[in-house]
Amino acid sequence: MLEQIKQQFQDATDLFTDTLDNGYWHMEIAYFPALCDEHIKDGLLVPFSYRFDPDEFRRMLHANPKFAKTDKPEGWASLLLKGFVLIRIGDDCYSFKSDRTLVTEPDTTQVEASLEGPQSAFTESLDLNLYLLRFRYNVPTLTVEPFEKGNFSNTAIQVVYDRKLVNRDVLELLYKQMEKVDLDLLLSSGQLVKSLTDKSHRFFPTLLQTERPDRVASMLRKGKIAILINGSRLAILLPVRLYDFMNAMDDYYDSFWISRLLATMRYIAVFLTLVLPAAYIAIVSYNPEIFRVQLAFTIDGSRAGVPYPSFIEVFIMLFMIEALIEASIRLPRFVGSTATTVGGLILGQAAQQAGLVSSIMIIVTSVVAISNFVIPNSAFSQSIRVLKYLFLIISMIYGISGVAVLFFAMIVYLCSLRSFGEPYFAFFTPHQRDLASQAPGKR
Amino acid sequence: MARYYYYHVIYVGMINIMLFVPWILEQHRFNGAVSAMVIAIVFGTVLAYVTTSLFLRFPGMGLADILNNLLPRGIAVTLNLIGAFIWLTAGILVIYAYSATIQQFFNPDMNPYLFLLLMTLAGVWGASRCTRTVQFAQEILLLISAPLIIMILFKAIFSPWLDWDAIRVAAGYIRTPPSFVSFCAATFIFAGYNTLAIYNRLLPSGTKIRFRWITPLFCTFFLLVSFFIPIGFHGTVEVGEFLYLWSVTADSMILEYGFVYRVLYLFLLLYTALSLMFAMNTWHTAMEFIKACHPKHKPQPEQFPVPSSNWWITLVFAGLTFGYAIWTNEQRNQWVNENWLIARTVTDVLTPVILGLLILMGVRKKKSASSVKS
Repeated sequence: MLEQIKQQFQDATDLFTDTLDNGYWHMEIAYFPALCDEHIKDGLLVPFSYRFDPDEFRRMLHANPKFAKTDKPEGWASLLLKGFVLIRIGDDCYSFKSDRTLVTEPDTTQVEASLEGPQSAFTESLDLNLYLLRFRYNVPTLTVEPFEKGNFSNTAIQVVYDRKLVNRDVLELLYKQMEKVDLDLLLSSGQLVKSLTDKSHRFFPTLLQTERPDRVASMLRKGKIAILINGSRLAILLPVRLYDFMNAMDDYYDSFWISRLLATMRYIAVFLTLVLPAAYIAIVSYNPEIFRVQLAFTIDGSRAGVPYPSFIEVFIMLFMIEALIEASIRLPRFVGSTATTVGGLILGQAAQQAGLVSSIMIIVTSVVAISNFVIPNSAFSQSIRVLKYLFLIISMIYGISGVAVLFFAMIVYLCSLRSFGEPYFAFFTPHQRDLASQAPGKR
Repeated sequence: MARYYYYHVIYVGMINIMLFVPWILEQHRFNGAVSAMVIAIVFGTVLAYVTTSLFLRFPGMGLADILNNLLPRGIAVTLNLIGAFIWLTAGILVIYAYSATIQQFFNPDMNPYLFLLLMTLAGVWGASRCTRTVQFAQEILLLISAPLIIMILFKAIFSPWLDWDAIRVAAGYIRTPPSFVSFCAATFIFAGYNTLAIYNRLLPSGTKIRFRWITPLFCTFFLLVSFFIPIGFHGTVEVGEFLYLWSVTADSMILEYGFVYRVLYLFLLLYTALSLMFAMNTWHTAMEFIKACHPKHKPQPEQFPVPSSNWWITLVFAGLTFGYAIWTNEQRNQWVNENWLIARTVTDVLTPVILGLLILMGVRKKKSASSVKS
C-alpha cells in the first residue's frame, strides 16, 4: 500500500508514511498530519501501541463506524486528501476518519443582521452547517444529497431539500445544471451561483445566497432547494423570486403591519435609488417645467454656481459615493469609519461650498446611497447599483420620458427571468405550466 | 387565471385616448356620437360576453390554433394574416400617437424619430418575450399605473372647473341618429376581451371567468369619461378644436400638493406605461399570429430564452412603424385611425361568428358520428 501511495504523492513531504510495529502486528499507516486532528491518537495510535490487544483491536476495526474497509487503491488518494488515515493490517486496508474541523461554533451574522431573530450564521464547515439546519428543520423528510465539484479543489457540496415538498422538476433541472458545472477551484458559493445560472441571466441574481440558517429553513418549508458548500459561509437557495431578495428575516418575526410597512418602504427605496439621479438629470437639463415653479427655482438656484451640465455633476458625486462604499468594505474596520466621515461629511460639504456640486445633488446622492443599503440582499443591491447607471444614460439622451420607458423595459426584463424554470417576478402564480414542468430539456 | 382577462379589459378601456377615440367621438358630438355610444355599450357588452364564452369552449388554444386545427390551411393562414395585420396596426398607431404626443408636450426640440426609436425598441423588447412573460409584465405595470390613472379621472370628475351644463347639453343630442364611425370608435373601448385570441393559450381548461359585470361597468365608465370630461372642461364647441384632446384636458387640472404641478406630466408618464403595454400586447399577438402560419408551428406560451424568430418578426414591426411614421402626417393618421377602428369592429364581429360556426360544425360532426355508431 505504501509504495502505491508514495508513487502518487511523490514530492509531498508533508505526507506521513510509516510501518508501525508493536511487537505483535505490523501496521502500515499513511496520513497528512496537517489534515488530521488529535482523534488519531486516541482512536488509533493508543489502541495499537501500549494498550494493544489483538482481539479488541480487531473488534474495533469492525465495529467502530469511523473505520471502513477500503480495498480499492484508486480511492486512496482522495481519502488521504480528505483527512482520512489509511492503515493496512495484514492484507486488509482500512480508512480511519480523523479530519480536522477548525470551526466548532456557529458564526454570528455579518451581512444579514437581524434585530430580533437568531444571530447564528453558517460557518465554513459543512458538518456544522448541516447541524444548524437540521436543528431548525427537524423532520425526517429532510434529504441531503452529497456532490463533489471542482477538478482541483474537490469541494464537497450538499443539496438539501424536503422530500415531500420539493418540486421534482426543479430538482431535475438542478441536477442537469450541476452536471454541466466545470470548475477548477470551487472556493466560494458565488462561483457555483455563476456556473449554475445561464448566460442570459445578467442583471439580477436568480439564486439567493444567504448566511442565515433560519432563512434556509423557512425556504425549505416552502419547497425550495438549498445547496451547502464546504468552505463557504453562504448557502445557495433556489428557485427564488424577486421578493425573496427584498425580504429580511425580521419580516417573519415582526408583527404584520410593521413588516408590511417596512417591505413597502424597501420597494420605495429601490425605486428611489434607481430613478432619483436619472430624474435629477432629466429635470434639471430637460424638463424643468415638470416641477412646480417654486421647486424648479430652488433646484436651479442651488445649481447656480455649478459650472458644468447636470450629468457631469451626477457622475462626479456618484463616483465619489461608489468609491466610498467600496473603500469602506475593503478597509479595516477602524480606518473605515474615518474614511466615511472624511468622504461623506467633509468632502460633501466642501464640494458643495466650493460650488462644484449643488446642495440638492448632495441630498440626491445620500438618498441613493442610503436607499441602496436598505436592500437586504447584497447581490441584489449590487444589481440595482449597476442598473442605476443605465437609467442615468437614458435620461441623458431622452429626459424623463426615457426613464419611464426604461422602467417599463426593466419590468419586462424582470418578468422574463426564470429561476430554474419558475417565474422570477410575478404575483401569485399557479405552479402549473412552469417551464420546469413543461419541457425539462429546455431552459 | 381569470384575473389576467380583466387586466386586458381595463387597459384597453384606458388606452382609447391614444387611438383618438375621444377625438372621433367629439367630431360627431352633435350628429350621432351619443346615440352611437349607447348602442356601443349594449353591443360591446354582448359581444364581449359571447366571444369570451366561445373562447372558453376551446381551452388552452389561441384563435390561431383553433383556426389551424379546424379549418383548411389556406383559409386559416389568410385569417391569421388578417388578424396579424389588425393587431400590428393597432400597436403602430399607438406608438406613433404616443411619440407624437411626447414630441408635442414633453420634448418639443427633440428629433421626433429619436423618441420613436426608443418607443419601438421598447415595444420590440416587450413583444418578443414569451406569452407568459408578457402576461406577468402586464399585470405588474397595470397595477402600478392604473390606480393613478383612475385617480386622475376621478380628479377630473370632481374638479370644480368641470362644467356639468355643457355635459348635459352634449348628452341631449342622444336622439340624433347614430353615426357609424363613432359607433366603431366607442366599441373599441370594450375590445379588451379580444386579447383572448392569444392569451386563451394560458387559460387552463375549466377556467370560469366570473364577475363579468366588470366589463360593462368599467368600460362604460371609461367611455363616458373620455367623451364627457373634455366637453365639461372645454365646452361643447371648443372641444372639437383639439387633436390631442386628453392631453389638453389633463393639462386643465393641477395637483395642489406634491412636486408636480401640472397633471399633464403625470398623465403622460402613466400613459407611457400604458401605451408600451398596448404595443407589447398587440405586437406580441401579431407575432404569434404570424408564427402560427408556419406549417410546423407549435404554440409555446412559455419559453426562455425566446427563439430568434421572435426578434426578427418584431424588428420588422419596428421597421414598419418607422415606415408609417415617415409616410404619415396628422390627416393621414386620422384617416388610418378611423379606418382601423372600422376594420377592427368588422373582425371583432367576425371572430365570434367563425368560432360559433366551428362549434356548431363540431357539434354536428359529433352528433353524426354518434348516430352512425348507434
